Amino acid sequence: RYCCSPATITVLHAFVFVSCQTAFVVDEVSTIIKESVEGAIGGNAYQHSRVNQWTTNVVEQSLSQLSKLGKPFKYIVTCVIMQKNGAGLQTASSCFWDNTTDGSCTVRWENKSMYCIVSVFGLAI
Amino acid sequence: MYYLLNKLFYHPTHHNTYAVKMEGTDTGGNTYLIRPNYHHKFKAAVVKECIHDILREQLSGVQYDPDEVGVLSRSLADCIKDKLKDVGFDRYKLVVQVVIGEQRGEGVKMAARCFWDADTDSYAQDIFMNFVLCGGCFRQLFLLRTKEDGKILQ
Repeated sequence: RYCCSPATITVLHAFVFVSCQTAFVVDEVSTIIKESVEGAIGGNAYQHSRVNQWTTNVVEQSLSQLSKLGKPFKYIVTCVIMQKNGAGLQTASSCFWDNTTDGSCTVRWENKSMYCIVSVFGLAI
Repeated sequence: MYYLLNKLFYHPTHHNTYAVKMEGTDTGGNTYLIRPNYHHKFKAAVVKECIHDILREQLSGVQYDPDEVGVLSRSLADCIKDKLKDVGFDRYKLVVQVVIGEQRGEGVKMAARCFWDADTDSYAQDIFMNFVLCGGCFRQLFLLRTKEDGKILQ
């Protein structure tokens, strides 16, 4: 019913070739995230008035570094900053994607007064 | 984009050409849709409703228990993802994230940014807070459009 012309098949083959070379590399992404978090909140104590700005900075810095990698990926970056006072926090995710090309990475960072948990999901185009 | 191109080139004297292009499926023209129709687009309101129901059903009266919360959050995420697969967002990839925190008066802030195609991709979120017992839960769901798919294989 759907005709698949030779031109389309060539394009599909090119796509497969490219996707073999560009996969979601967890280590690379993890390094980028750690640097972004350090740069945005490293050495600061938890302050309610500044946490809004901090989360925004972490997320935007991470996303701009990830997009500079130039890979054909869509990214989702989430950041949770929580004050340390003995409470617990749990993050879980469930994804419906292509296991061969897509991936995620979670980075946990802490200092004396707060925790910062950053999750990155990368989905190949 | 395909339709937009048609509009750009549309001219009253080329009316016939325009009509042929529209019916061009059997001439080997582009049949692969890279954008969803209006009906198949991600509907945030529907999804939010879905999430809300599941949260209310599974978290009412539940207390934060450090041993159980791992299992609980994972099962919530899977449950939501499965429910949404049934709703039928054709050719969309789904990412469901669940965050469960204990309420002890601490400050928490969550932020998210996405690098995607704003025309096709979107997100829905819902927050559930348990005032009587200790426990608060936020979840977000993101939907992205996949560009390669089984339409060619059919």
